[in-house]
Amino acid sequence: MIKNTADAEDVVQRASMTMWRCFDQYEPGTQFRNWAFQVAKNTALNHLTKMRRDRHVFGEKLVALLAERTEERAENLDARRRALDYCVEKLPSTDHEMVSACYSEGATIRSFAEEAGETANKIYKRLNRVRRQLQKCIERQIGTEEVFG
Amino acid sequence: MIDEELQDWIDKSLNETATDEESSALEKRLLHDSEARDYYLNATNLHAALRRRFSSSEEPSSTASIVPFANVARPRLRTGLAIAASVTLIAGLIALSLQSQKPSAVIAQVVGAYRDSGSAYTIGESVNSGRLAVSRGLVRLDFLNGALVTIEGPAELEVVNRKRVVLHHGVVTATIPGSAVGFVIDTVAAHVVDLGTSFGVSVSQDGFTDVCVFEGEVEVSDQTGANPQLLREGEAIRAREESDTIDSVAYETSRFENAWPVNFGVLQTTGSLRFVSPGPDFHPGNYEDNEHIIVFPERRSFNAEKSFRVDMMDPGEYAKSLYRDKPSLSADQRLTSYLLQLNAYPEGKNPNRRRSVRGQITFAKPIAGVITVDRLLKESEAIFGIPDAEYPSARTIEPRPDGDERPGFDSLILAADRRTLFVEFQENPGQIDQVRVLVEAE
Repeated sequence: MIKNTADAEDVVQRASMTMWRCFDQYEPGTQFRNWAFQVAKNTALNHLTKMRRDRHVFGEKLVALLAERTEERAENLDARRRALDYCVEKLPSTDHEMVSACYSEGATIRSFAEEAGETANKIYKRLNRVRRQLQKCIERQIGTEEVFG
Repeated sequence: MIDEELQDWIDKSLNETATDEESSALEKRLLHDSEARDYYLNATNLHAALRRRFSSSEEPSSTASIVPFANVARPRLRTGLAIAASVTLIAGLIALSLQSQKPSAVIAQVVGAYRDSGSAYTIGESVNSGRLAVSRGLVRLDFLNGALVTIEGPAELEVVNRKRVVLHHGVVTATIPGSAVGFVIDTVAAHVVDLGTSFGVSVSQDGFTDVCVFEGEVEVSDQTGANPQLLREGEAIRAREESDTIDSVAYETSRFENAWPVNFGVLQTTGSLRFVSPGPDFHPGNYEDNEHIIVFPERRSFNAEKSFRVDMMDPGEYAKSLYRDKPSLSADQRLTSYLLQLNAYPEGKNPNRRRSVRGQITFAKPIAGVITVDRLLKESEAIFGIPDAEYPSARTIEPRPDGDERPGFDSLILAADRRTLFVEFQENPGQIDQVRVLVEAE
């Protein structure tokens, strides 16, 4: 099991357990969503504090800002994910191959570079470019998304 | 602005090649730059979604789809991804906690508006994504991001989310503050993106879409988003479902005249009162409409910060009073200001015409005070006047003196509920009648 996947799942588990455990603290009539969000955020922040001991991670203030913003944009995520699916399919086959290889489980960019007979640096650059293309494509899709679909 | 440096830090963070120094620099930048934060979130979400897509061959389970960003790990994880993981992890947790969706908007104003079923709309109802049918009357939706959209029935509007609606048919007017720029109104024939403005969109039964910009700018493209063009204040277009061309048409606001004032807190005007919005080169004295008493919105939801005198506060008919007897409005009240004006023809153009022009106006909120005499108009202009607008110098309305039976005086009557003002002005060639109405802010 990859260490950080374990971490992530751990936190999700802990957050939902905290929610169940603290459910009697939830006041009926207040927004469940807000309360659940608070629990999730606190659990994640605790996790971050632990992680900070051995490497640089973002401070609480920024994480809270990003979390709040993510919440604001939550409705947007599904549309973005649909757009991404579409945009990935539109990639030229060589780019598609590279992205799929670099992002597949257990892969590293180095191992892919070696296989492809390229320098890792070159692959990083190609990845950067493709991610930017995908981002642009997603923005276009979101902008013109067929709302009845 | 998204520059190369930021892009470089984000790329390195995602590629796990960022040094601790670079991570700190990225953090500092993100802390004080909200645009950079959005950009960063988009990048990490894309990264996480790619990871999720290519890292497992199986169909995502239902848990996986509500915790979309938990699977972002990579082997030998280092600084960059630790950050991406913790952020996207939170995104996943938030998605998980989004059991019930926030409403997109609330119904903020209703003027005799009914659903197809015959039930009435009421103020304060939440509006989630979905279809909204208005069989008649006016409904104003206030979106969470600050966008105001008034629908005039018969109309059918679909709320997609807090930044996007689809108008199937009917008339809407939108007032979009800076916080909601990018608000979209789609129709079967056009895609309208607001760029910070006030505008109207109507869709007729035969599928014509008309767009009319009252203030600011919007971008209009055909229904596929192609052929975008900029539409400025005072411009109008018409688009057709079966055609992808967009035609410029004459600026004609009449179809929006009922809905538009509701965006500004004016529920209704009747008789010869007409609500208009001043343009950028607005000078009240130059506004050429001699048939109507014009209502201009001035400053919205504004705090005077010092107390000031008004001519009239209580329900009843306005009568002249001495300066020292005039009531004061307190400094801490938030008010919205409107200017009512009758501008008669310049002298000589129509020298013998004498008419009375009358009507009534109903506001969404109670009227706090009315100002009529030139001295108080000037004093309040400094606070509530439109900045840089030129206001005329001498204006005074003539109320009927006590016991005078002759015709031909100006009259203002504030109704008992304080929301409706009856206005009658006598046309007096070459002179401008103006009063300022201060209404409690919405």
